Amino acid sequence: MAITDISHRQKFLADGNAYLPHIAVIEKIIDETPDTRTFHFNFKDEKLRREFTFASGQFGEYSVFGVGEATFCISSSPTRPDHLEFCVKRVGSVTNALHRLGEGAEIGFRGPFGNSFPLDYLKGRNLVFVAGGIGLAPLRSLIWNAIDNRQDYGKIDIIYGARSAADLCFKYDLDAWEKDATVNMTTTIDRQDKAWSGRVGFVPAVLEQVGPSAAGAAAIVCGPPVMIRFTFPVLEKLGFSPEQMITTLEKRMKCGIGKCGRCNIGDIYVCRDGPVFSFAQIKGFISGEY
Amino acid sequence: MKKIKKQELARLLQQWQADYTVLAPSRATEVAAMAEWDGKDIGFLEWYRNTVIPPKEVILPNMEELFRFQKEGAGYRLTAAAPEAKQLVFGIRPCDARALAIIDLVFQDTYPDDYYLSRRQNTLLVGLGCTRPCDSCFCTSMGVSPGESGDVDLMCTDTGDELMIEGITAKGKELLEKTGGLAEASPEDGSRRQEAIEQARQRITRHLDTGGIAEKLQRSFEDKEFWERIAAKCITCGVCTFLCPTCYCFDINDEKTAAGGGARFRNWDSCSFAAYTRMPAENPREQKWQRVRQKVCHKYEFYPRLFNIIACTGCGRCIRLCPVNWDITETLKSVPAPTTT
Amino acid sequence: MKDWEARLRTEARKLLEQGEIEYLIGFAPGSLKFTTTPLITGNKEDAGLLVINPFITNNLSVFLNETRGRTGIVAKGCDARAIISLIQDNQVAREKVFIIGVPCPGIIDLRKVEKLTGRDRDELDDITLAGERVTVTWDGQPREFPAAEVLRDDCLDCTSPAPREYDLLLGEEAHAGAAAGRGKSKIRELEALPPERRWDFWKNEFSRCIRCYACRQICPACFCERCFVEEAEPHWVSPLPAWQENLLFQATRIIHVAGRCVDCGECERACPVHIPLRLLTGKMEDIVDELFHYRAGMDKNEPPLMTAYQPEEAEDFIR
Repeated sequence: MAITDISHRQKFLADGNAYLPHIAVIEKIIDETPDTRTFHFNFKDEKLRREFTFASGQFGEYSVFGVGEATFCISSSPTRPDHLEFCVKRVGSVTNALHRLGEGAEIGFRGPFGNSFPLDYLKGRNLVFVAGGIGLAPLRSLIWNAIDNRQDYGKIDIIYGARSAADLCFKYDLDAWEKDATVNMTTTIDRQDKAWSGRVGFVPAVLEQVGPSAAGAAAIVCGPPVMIRFTFPVLEKLGFSPEQMITTLEKRMKCGIGKCGRCNIGDIYVCRDGPVFSFAQIKGFISGEY
Repeated sequence: MKKIKKQELARLLQQWQADYTVLAPSRATEVAAMAEWDGKDIGFLEWYRNTVIPPKEVILPNMEELFRFQKEGAGYRLTAAAPEAKQLVFGIRPCDARALAIIDLVFQDTYPDDYYLSRRQNTLLVGLGCTRPCDSCFCTSMGVSPGESGDVDLMCTDTGDELMIEGITAKGKELLEKTGGLAEASPEDGSRRQEAIEQARQRITRHLDTGGIAEKLQRSFEDKEFWERIAAKCITCGVCTFLCPTCYCFDINDEKTAAGGGARFRNWDSCSFAAYTRMPAENPREQKWQRVRQKVCHKYEFYPRLFNIIACTGCGRCIRLCPVNWDITETLKSVPAPTTT
Repeated sequence: MKDWEARLRTEARKLLEQGEIEYLIGFAPGSLKFTTTPLITGNKEDAGLLVINPFITNNLSVFLNETRGRTGIVAKGCDARAIISLIQDNQVAREKVFIIGVPCPGIIDLRKVEKLTGRDRDELDDITLAGERVTVTWDGQPREFPAAEVLRDDCLDCTSPAPREYDLLLGEEAHAGAAAGRGKSKIRELEALPPERRWDFWKNEFSRCIRCYACRQICPACFCERCFVEEAEPHWVSPLPAWQENLLFQATRIIHVAGRCVDCGECERACPVHIPLRLLTGKMEDIVDELFHYRAGMDKNEPPLMTAYQPEEAEDFIR
């Protein structure tokens, strides 16, 4: 299972220069929550627009020129290439600058960088997606990828939660997956909410309640660090081996290409060898600083 | 092999100035650094031992423009910077030349870094063997010979009144062919050169055994008590990392001009700084001991695992310029040996 | 000084043994000639490593917020003022520290020695300070100099060589400011220049700043968890080492520490590219004295200058 196989990553470098962004145009903006937005975009250059591809799990470096660059996964699926998407939570100068942009604004894009979800391993398996908050963004790319190639995968379970009803991202996806008979969708919020008549409970606890079988399955997990740390033991309890648990890690990144140094865990660079890792690989990391 | 009298060095550098921007050791900016040679002064031959700012600055500047952007209507036009000027660094020491060969590996890896690589390509290195190593130097322990180098294009050896000059690379040999005013070195000159090289080696007083260091560091990685003790007096400034010829970590920042334009730059960054890995929600290296551990392990364990070479050439700058005299050789000597259980 | 050293070792060991302190911060011999290095230890055996000599340059108070538990700290006059200033600022509790006062003999500036002798530090055989004379030996030959030629500039002007606050004092004699006023002579020179020439001077100095932040990290008064340089919103100053940004960084830092800086000079000593930062800290301390008749770290019970409101404030906008 070649999770760190980076050979399938494609390089679309502007003038062969890994630091030079392509110009992209924002086509649509969706407010997911009070502090989170999804941006739909396309490259200005026609040829690139036609030729660009990526794999689920990869990320880009998005620029607001004059403010800086920030790292976000590509949250759309490669099976739906009419446009690209990324999702931004407002936490600092670049993310705030992105949120101030309107449709038609031009941004920079470098990528796709990083490795991707190991489709060769996942094909034929039952997929259990476990996500919290904006952590659904990278998984969303893979979920639609799987649904668009439904015959390649077994059962699909999705367990998704957020702090409150207002913090649920991609509500339009949650609706669609709820309605999809081939998908078992469970949505939860952390605490009781007047606006919510659905399930209540932290994602790891709800995962245990749903109790998907580990046989012939793989779990793909993404969310706040605390959620991930509590989810792995539940998956272990359910019989998932470390190889069967896959996640995508977040680190402060700048170059995105394994040069500036800061995203390392030992001799692994999350931007270049990741961000997708199995828990088996993570256990072999030099430290728990992930 | 050719030679030149040291007092004639100016004429040699002037010749090279016709085709290259010649950089030589200078104290014009208060502390020793490689700076554009003024066309006549060779007084540095008296005082030069090594620079404070490492020559890596010439290939990986502390502030480097990556590209410019200019607003055009609703959009932007980008223009990438293209470092092209041919430069010649005279007097680079074997430790610093080896250091460049070491960091070449990361800038060539997977995504070629054209900024670094084109500067590297356009820079000719003329090495100068040491005669007076400092008490902080430990290059011989890191596989570097202070008097000689294969990591430069031309190598000079100081034999007292003269400099012996040897072509090392094809580029260097080509330049040597074209250079006038040089005499042929004799077999006796060759012996004097060997003596000088041997003498330089003998004058290194600081030694370090790096045998098994990567394994020792790996086993000690989780030893929080050890690392807290090691890190106690470190003040987590950037002196050691910025002045280290094998440190290369950088930050990327944009700057705007009022007219809707600006540029993206990169500048030196340090894993010693808390901000280096700081994210809005958490910082995996919030504690000082985690950052000190990262710095040591990156150079002596992680880099060797990736590129089969320790990212240190024993230049000693970190030891003699550290504001608290934190000493890497002392730290490495104190890493616990793995127990045989 | 040798007696002080012996007494220090005995007392420090006792303090650790008896559990009076959990940690000790002092000076141990450095790994290079004529240097010392901070010793931070909870082990009483390490007390035997402690030294007192003219190279105990660091201001150890910078480590005080890192040790857990009661901490013994070796303090020269300026260091004691820095500790008092930290107490004034509520960064350190008085009860937490056991101050071992060293009446300062004056600290030797190795850069001055190198300039005077034309030799690098590692090429000298010996440096000894005895009262007002310094003997430097090189090439086997001892040569004498007036101490004022090689002491640090801040030591030349020092008005409080003896610690003003201590729990234990190692001795009585401290050097008086060996050449009072002389340490500030460069400041006076700069003051006499017209503004454009002064600007050119600083533009030149800050052109070589590499933004290593050694000045900030070594300074006990710079104890902010997040420095203003690290803030992106607002983007106060660029992290890029352009001379304008470097100058802005340092000027802002100096203003931020105004009223808390004791002019110990460690920032200048730590700077690897020899930017004369003490011209700024020294001038700042003078300005604070002129405007507010205040010097930092003189009295632990005095409210800190910049954060304490007095009804008699000179400015009327605050009334």
